[in-house]
Amino acid sequence: MADVTLNTVSKSYGPGSEREFAVDSVSLEIANGSFNVLLGPTGAGKTTMLRLVAGLEKPDNGSIHIGDRDVTGDTPAQRNVAMVFQQYSLYPHLTVRENLAFPLKSPLLKTSPAEIKKRIAEVAEVLRISDKLDNKSIALSGGEMQRVSIGRALVRQPEVFLMDEPLSSLDAKLRSELRLELKRLQADLGATVLYVTHDQIEAMTMATQVGVLHDGKLVQHGSPREIYENPKSIYVASRLGLPRINTLPADFFAGAPTAAATIGMRPENIVIDSGQPGAKSGVVDRVEHLGDQTRLHITVQNHSLVTLIHPTLNIGRGDSVSLLPQSPLYFAADGSRVL
Amino acid sequence: MSLDPVEQVARATPVTVAKKIRGLSDRAIAWIFVGPTILLLLAINIFPLIWTINLSFTNYKANRPNRPVEYVGLRNYERILNDSDIWLNMQATAHFLVWTIVFQVLIGFTLAWLINKKFKGNDLWTTIIVLPMMLSPAVVGNFWTFFYQPQIGLFNYVVGFFTGADPSSFEMLGSVDLAPWAIVIVDTWMWTPFVMLICLAGLRSIPNYIYEAAAIDRASKWRQFWTITLPMVLPFLMLAVLFRGIENFKMFDLVVQLTGGGPGSTTELASINLKREAFEKWRTGYSSAFAIILFVTVFGLASIYVKALNKVKER
Repeated sequence: MADVTLNTVSKSYGPGSEREFAVDSVSLEIANGSFNVLLGPTGAGKTTMLRLVAGLEKPDNGSIHIGDRDVTGDTPAQRNVAMVFQQYSLYPHLTVRENLAFPLKSPLLKTSPAEIKKRIAEVAEVLRISDKLDNKSIALSGGEMQRVSIGRALVRQPEVFLMDEPLSSLDAKLRSELRLELKRLQADLGATVLYVTHDQIEAMTMATQVGVLHDGKLVQHGSPREIYENPKSIYVASRLGLPRINTLPADFFAGAPTAAATIGMRPENIVIDSGQPGAKSGVVDRVEHLGDQTRLHITVQNHSLVTLIHPTLNIGRGDSVSLLPQSPLYFAADGSRVL
Repeated sequence: MSLDPVEQVARATPVTVAKKIRGLSDRAIAWIFVGPTILLLLAINIFPLIWTINLSFTNYKANRPNRPVEYVGLRNYERILNDSDIWLNMQATAHFLVWTIVFQVLIGFTLAWLINKKFKGNDLWTTIIVLPMMLSPAVVGNFWTFFYQPQIGLFNYVVGFFTGADPSSFEMLGSVDLAPWAIVIVDTWMWTPFVMLICLAGLRSIPNYIYEAAAIDRASKWRQFWTITLPMVLPFLMLAVLFRGIENFKMFDLVVQLTGGGPGSTTELASINLKREAFEKWRTGYSSAFAIILFVTVFGLASIYVKALNKVKER
């Protein structure tokens, strides 16, 4: 295992004037043994960053180090990284066992047949595919294929694991199980992981560090809690949190700093019926009972808000409630944070 | 046993209702669609085959239809299998078959592999390479006889240019040693593009991400070729070999145009001899037996081969 350093790495596609930066001078330090999640919408450059670290793409500028070694010009084979692709990428003409053995049979590794057998058995056990080892890889369900694909990365001992939305195609139950399993494996192995996801629960629960990408730029990098509680911009604030952070004009409630243009309130940071001065009253449009919590969709002077209340509170559609922000976040007109 | 919903509805619908709706049962409609084809097949494929089997036990001569026909049992077969000339034909056919397939597979696969590398103008190259296949075998045979001319032929000139030999010192079509290779060269020239196209389809069916996964798994280009490219193209390649094999087993037009079976009978392939027996010597019964023997041979070989092909596909 090793740490990974990206130093002002850029990668653009397209000809001449139409060039678009998929990754725009990103510098990132990934500590040895840390679980790094890259968050961002489609097209933000998450997958390109993984491919750059993997060596499947060559950066236009900047350098990439794995451990002490500059790997910028190295091929994927020279880098010793393992990658789980979003679209499985299994070898369709091979069985599950042969798929798992493939990376171990690399002449660079010189793994003995007994060792290969042992490792495959271990990984198959963890991913619960032991009974599928002799199946053709294309005869599996989507979830099984993805587990084989994860297994193909786990059988090796690479310096870095790269994972591109590995759990996105699994059903909810398996996803939450494998989420825990992956996190446990990562902790046991002390593995360095770079992990791309859309799923904020994955980001919050698995990550030691989260990097938020916007149009190829790394806008914030820090612990999940830091990103959630202390976002640098309105963009970062809206990437984490479900339901999303509510935004209103800053002067909607009294007490905003002068530079602020927008006030952002997490759903859990809106106090209902506090009876304090400055509260605004709104009407409940819709109530969602989720069991452990209840979501209220409220309209306040043509603005829609979502807030959470305790499930035992009895508020229904059409009820009038008063709202007050609690430790809100303020943002300037350009989206940056105002402290 | 539980039934799927479609089956349940089908079972619950009374047959008479179904008939009323469409006027005809499923089976009747099926027969209406398939019937004409079956009749046509019976008339132009199955009947001639059975008739040929029948004729192969007789001494019938088609140029003398009024002569009384005698059944001679297995005598035609006995004579064919004991005829050393027929064995020479079979050897010439085997030589032609094996070497054309070897060359076409090697060159065809290599060309496909090169064309599949993304470079500028590879579509144009594909078109150019495929051209020979689109020509008529008669035309190809005819102009290769000019290429093979010792005095003015392009082929002899090119060989002479590279080897330093005198172009008029050898005759590709006239020499007993060279003529079997001359026909192999022309068939390879004409049909390699076909093998290339099928291999290209195979190569293009391998998604790029498989190679990316292999690169990440630290497989060298060499290992990627042997463990991914070749096994995944193999079913396509085997299919190409099957097509070319069956085609070349009954090769006639190109070789007749080039050598007419000569010199001597060195390039007299089975089908050329068959045509001679049937329509020059008019030994209809005898040639029917020969045709049946060829048919059984090619059918048997093809069946074994298709079984192997299916096994490769299942792998």
